[in-house]
Order: sequence, then structure tokens, then C-alpha cells
Amino acid sequence: MNRLRLWLLAVGGAGLAALLVAACLDLPGFGGDRHPYGDRAVHASLLRHTANTVASVNFDQRAYDTLGEMSILFAAVLGCVVLLRQARDEHRAPPEPAGVARPVRRYALLVLPVALVTGLYVIAHGQLSPGGGFQGGVVAATALHLLYLGADYGALERVRPLGVYETTDALATGAYLVLGLAPVLAGTAFLANTLLPYGTFNTLSSGGTVPLLNAAIGMEVASAAVVLLAHFLDQAVEIEEEHGS
Amino acid sequence: MRHLLPLLVALPLLGAALLVATGRRLPRVAVEITGFTVCGGTAALALVLLLNSAPPLTEWVGAWPPAGRESVGILVVGDGPALGMATLASLLTLAALAYSWRYFDAPPHGHTGAYTALMLVFQGAMCGFALAGDLFNAFVFFELMSVVAYALTGYRIDEAKAVQGALTFGIVNSLGAYALLMGIALLYARTGELAMARIGHGLDAAGPGGPDALVLASFVLVLTGLLVKAAAVPFHFWLPDAHAVAPTPVCMLLSGVMVELGAYGVWRVYGTVFAGPGGIPAADLTRALVTLGALTAVTGAVMCWYQRHIKRLLAYSTVAHTGLFLVGLGVLTPEADDGVALYLLGHAGVKAALFACAGALLDRFGSVDEHSLHGRGRPLRATGVMCAVGALGLAGLPPFGTALGKAVAEEAVGGPLTVVYVAASAITAGAVLRVTARVFLGLGPRPRDAEYETSGSHEEPETTGLLSRVPDTMTTVPAVLLAAALAMGVVPGFGALVARSVGPAGSGGAHWTAHGVLLGVASTALAVALAGLAVTRPDWTAAPGWAAPLRRLQSGHVGDYVAWLLVGTTVLGALALPGVLGS
Repeated sequence: MNRLRLWLLAVGGAGLAALLVAACLDLPGFGGDRHPYGDRAVHASLLRHTANTVASVNFDQRAYDTLGEMSILFAAVLGCVVLLRQARDEHRAPPEPAGVARPVRRYALLVLPVALVTGLYVIAHGQLSPGGGFQGGVVAATALHLLYLGADYGALERVRPLGVYETTDALATGAYLVLGLAPVLAGTAFLANTLLPYGTFNTLSSGGTVPLLNAAIGMEVASAAVVLLAHFLDQAVEIEEEHGS
Repeated sequence: MRHLLPLLVALPLLGAALLVATGRRLPRVAVEITGFTVCGGTAALALVLLLNSAPPLTEWVGAWPPAGRESVGILVVGDGPALGMATLASLLTLAALAYSWRYFDAPPHGHTGAYTALMLVFQGAMCGFALAGDLFNAFVFFELMSVVAYALTGYRIDEAKAVQGALTFGIVNSLGAYALLMGIALLYARTGELAMARIGHGLDAAGPGGPDALVLASFVLVLTGLLVKAAAVPFHFWLPDAHAVAPTPVCMLLSGVMVELGAYGVWRVYGTVFAGPGGIPAADLTRALVTLGALTAVTGAVMCWYQRHIKRLLAYSTVAHTGLFLVGLGVLTPEADDGVALYLLGHAGVKAALFACAGALLDRFGSVDEHSLHGRGRPLRATGVMCAVGALGLAGLPPFGTALGKAVAEEAVGGPLTVVYVAASAITAGAVLRVTARVFLGLGPRPRDAEYETSGSHEEPETTGLLSRVPDTMTTVPAVLLAAALAMGVVPGFGALVARSVGPAGSGGAHWTAHGVLLGVASTALAVALAGLAVTRPDWTAAPGWAAPLRRLQSGHVGDYVAWLLVGTTVLGALALPGVLGS
């Protein structure tokens, strides 16, 4: 079977490689000036006073894709809750507090607030500068985990009531959907950015619903990352297999 | 009306968010009623939209209608096939939720709503994929559908087999998704468009001389992703491993509609993106789909016959039938499309009902092993009758909807492919009839127990402990599903309605012909004969030597499946190559 597998892999891999190389030779040349989609996206983004075109694509022009991507994260969290639950032959043992080297502790506690504020800043300025809800959410969520490095798992668990984060995750998902449904009630298309004024270009309140959707995503990603990491960490740190079963 | 299209996605997702937010405080009954209401409401909306889908509804989500011919928005298409698939997915989710009503094993502690929420997200994802008119958007919902399906498949984490099956499912389908994404990237590089129809225009404009290697590669990669989902040979290995271990209500959805959505995706993408002069010539698509489809049907049927694990047996029957759907779609005639659409609808009802019956056995006896259950199913009379009726539906006995669809498709494909249709449906139905005769009637000698890797005995029931009697919901749901499959063939005008929904340039309606009825009766007779032979003369139908290597290919080793996926991609490229060379 091993030999058959290798043969199959060789034949299939060679075929796919040949196909991809042939396709790459037909790709448009590097550095050309023809960007049909890019030109249209920038134009549309300026039309709605959104300084960061990427944010305009994510939360306005293709906000429906973002809904799907957000739901993938939401479903992944739900899947983790289901799959990483405590099995019948496992039990929980609170981890022993472990000593932390002083420089690590000092560094972690110093950087934690900075990282948290950076995350929130990146979320808040999503429609103006590179970044946004997805990136800022991850930064904010990782900031909390500096507590695990600087102190111990018990300390992290105290600032991380999982129930609250799971509920926030769901509420943020719901908020995105409600923001999408509001225009339908007003008689236009789902997720249409036509209800709010577009504001002054390059200010925090510009872009209509873009900052709101961006904030919902930031909330969702931050809490989803916390919950996901929590379930994996629980498996690694707290949940143990029963002995002799 | 068209503004309501994205609600088919948004409503189930909103319901899921609500259940997760409040789940820990709600009693189980409240969770299930909420899930049922949201799912049913969405199904009703899908049905209303479906009845208003002529002319097709189209919606630019985010209110970005095209300026000139170009748009930056996302197109959602609500034509007959799209809304038909969305309605089917919604109704089957409703049936699966009804089937799991109060019986399903205790949900994770403190997360009462998790299971129902996952089912609702699954429904939303399937609706989103069906409605997608934008290739990247289709990919997003393809992924969402997959993520939820992995989690649901591995739901019973206390069983190593469930985790293994879900992992295999996850790896193979993720690779398929990467292939799909790479194909989309190539198409985007060529055309700068993501809406399917616009990509098609772009290909035609860019390559008046016909397709080149880039078009071929994107076609192969996109089709690889969709065929992994549709479980076509040799991309099919994940399906039996996943379906054998997934909870029964999830199997109803996976086999009844998710796998078929892969076939639907092939139909949609070819017709909208690659059918023009700059795309892949029709002859090449026919060669690729008919070859792989026929291979899938034969492999699925043979493997189905040699299973004794009832859920695996049903899983292989799904593989066989998807092969038949691919053959039908591959010949590219409106008649065949009508037939496949009807066949797919009927199959969804029949297959979901059969899985529901298998679930009743699992929860009553803790086993889905045909041999160890020999004669033990006698007390479950209703389940036994439904199993037999389902088998007849699978064989295509008139007047089931499956029979009407199969007859129309058979007539459209013609020639030796008709033999594939008759044989595959007869063998899979024969296997189910054999199980029915042995388990529920105790006919024939008790089969000798051979060493067998996947026997299906000693399984954990999905309920808290074995059931002492089968609850009413678990008999009502399959009964309703079978009645629906029967009604599709009996209700006058249903065939014509489906044909009208599939395409305005349809064949003028799918209706019964003497030829079709005869073939349906013939495959049923063949199925009964095969089952009779298997029960009375078990030695005659024991696995011959040549079937053993075929069975060994299903090794459970993820590396093998990945290797086969690469081979499949190469084969697909080779099958479609002549059109590119010839242009």
C-alpha cells in the first residue's frame, strides 16, 4: 500500500505541477497597469467617503462575503466548543502555578496594555488606515494571553470568563446581521450602505455603516479568538485523560 | 421580492447567533422550538420565493447594481434550480431537526443550543451556496458548509472513529477548497471579474481562439473542489468514512443534499462560466463528467453491495447515485437536466428516510451491523416497512419521484449509459432490500461471521442509553419523507413544474413514458432478485477476489485519499485536454 501511495502521489503531483506551470505561463505579466477590479473598487470606495479601500471592499462592496467569513469563524468556535468538550474518559485538573522569570513577567505586564490599546486602535481606525476588525480583533485577543506568559493560567482564567466571551461572539454576529437586515426593512438591498450619512472623508465617522460593521467584526474576532484559544489551552493545560481506562 | 433572497442566509444565521447567545439559560425545549421556527420560517420563505422565481430573481447585495456592465457588488441569483436547492436544503434541515427532537444525546454541558445552532448555520450555508451568482461568494459558503459539516460529523467525540472520520473529511474537503480557490484566482487573473456570468464573458472576450492552458487549469481546479464535495471517484473516499460515523440527522443532510450541492455547483459553474467559446468545449465536459460519473456509479454500487455496516452501505449508495447525477448533467441536454433535478429531489427524500431507519436501529440495538442484527429487527415493524419502501424507491419503482426522474434521465443519456443507470440503482436497492429481509424478517441463514474491519456492531447509540421503543418522531419523519418522494411522482404536473423551474428552454416537461416505466420495473425486479439470491444463497454473493483490492483502497489512511485527490485532478486535466489542444 505504501508503494502504491507513493506512485499515486508521484503521478498525481506531476500532473498537477505540469498543469499549474502551464497555467502560470499564461498569466498576465507582472507589474502591468491593467487592474480592472482595483480601479473600480477604489472609485466606489471614494464615492462612499471610505479612505481605506480594503475596508470598503470588506464592509461595503463585498460585505456579504465578510458575512460568510465571519460565520465561518463563528461556526469554527461553535465546532470547537462541541469537539473539544470534556470527553467521558477525561477529567479536569487545575494546573499548578508555575514560576515565571522576572524579566518575562515585567515585559509581559508592560506590553499587555500597549497591545490591548493597539488592538482597539486598529479596530477603530479600520475604515481609515490599514487594519480593521479582523486584524485588530486578533491583536486585542492575543494581548490578553500575555497574562498567561507573565503570570499563570489561573490569572488568565480570571480575566477570561468564557461565557461572557461566547455571548459577545454571538451578539456581535447578530449585530452584523441586524445591520445588514435594517436596509431590507427600509426597502433596499441586504447590507446596503445607504442609511447613514457618509460623513467627511478621512475622519472616524466617515463611510456610513462601514465603521459599524467593522466594529462588529472586531468584537466578533476578538471574542472568537479568545474562546478558540481557551478551548485549545484547556485541552493542553487542564483536561487530562483518566488513567487506567 | 428580490431583496428577500439574502434572507435565506441571514435568518438561519441570526437564529444560530440567538441560540448561542441565550442557549445556556434556555431549557432544551425552548431551544428546539426556536430552531424549528427559524428553520421552518426560512423554508417557507424559500418556497414562496421559488414559486415567484419566473422570471429569475437577481439581487446585487449591498445595492451595487452594475454601472454600465461592471459592478463591484455581489450577485445573488434566485432562479428555479438555485431556489429549488435552497428549499430542499431547508426542508431537509427541518426534517433532521424534527428527527432529533428531544432524542439526541445530551448537548455539551452549558451549551444547550450548540447542536441546533450548528444545524441552522449549515442550513444558511447551503442556501448561500445554492444562491451564489458570484464565484468567490460560492467559495465562501462552500467553506462555511464544510466547517459546520466537520464539526457535526465529529459530534460524538467519545468515539475514536467519529473523530477520525471527521478529520479525514476535513483534510480532503479543505484540499478541495484550496483547489477551488486557486482556480478562482486563475480566472480572476485572466478576467478581473468574480461574478460567474462576467467571468464567462471575460473568457470569451479574452480568448476568441479558444481555451488555453490557464482556462484548462482553472476548469480542472474549480471542478476538483466541487467534485470533492460531490464525492466523485476518485475524490469520494472521505464520504463513507464520514457518513458512517456522523450522527443520523447529520447524515440525512450530508447524503440528502450537501453532496448533491457539489453536483449542482458543477452544473452552475460550467453553464455560467465555461460554456462559452472561450471556455471548455462541451465535448470535453461530457467526456470528463460521463467518465467520472459512470466510474463513480459503478464503484459506489459494487462497494455498496459488499458492506454489512448499514450506514456505510447507505453512504456508498449515495456515491453511486451522485455518479448517476453527474452522468446526467454531463450529457448537457435540457431533458437530462430535468431528469436529474427530479431524481435528485426524490433521492433526497428516500435516502434521508433510509438513514432515519438506520438511526432507529442504532439507537434501539446499539448496532448497525447487518449480520449481528439478523432477525432482531422484527419488533420494529414500521421501521422495517419503511426500509423496504425506501429500497423500492431507491430502485426506481414507479410511481416514486426517483423513478420519474431516473426514467427521464435514462431516456436523455441513452445507449449503454442506460445500463449504468439500471444496474447502479438495482444493485444499491438490492443491498438495502437484502438488509431489510435479514434484519427485519430474519430471512435466510444467519450469515457466518468473518473477520471484518467495519462491521458496525458495538456502536454507541446517539441517545442517552439504548431506547426501549422507537419514539414517534423517529418513525414519522421517514414516513413523511417517503410520502414526499412518492408524491413527486404521483402528483400530476409536478414533473412539468420541476422542468419549468430548471430552465425556460426545458424539454416541455418530465412525464411518464411506457419505456421509462418498464425500465423502472425492470431495475426493481433486478433488485428483488439480487436481494433474494443474497439472502437464500449467501455463498453465491460473497465478495469475489477481484472486489478485495477495491475494498482495500478504502484504507482509512488520509495520505491515500490525498494521493487519490491529486490523481483525480490529473485525470480530470487529461480528460479535458483534447479541447485545449484542438483549439
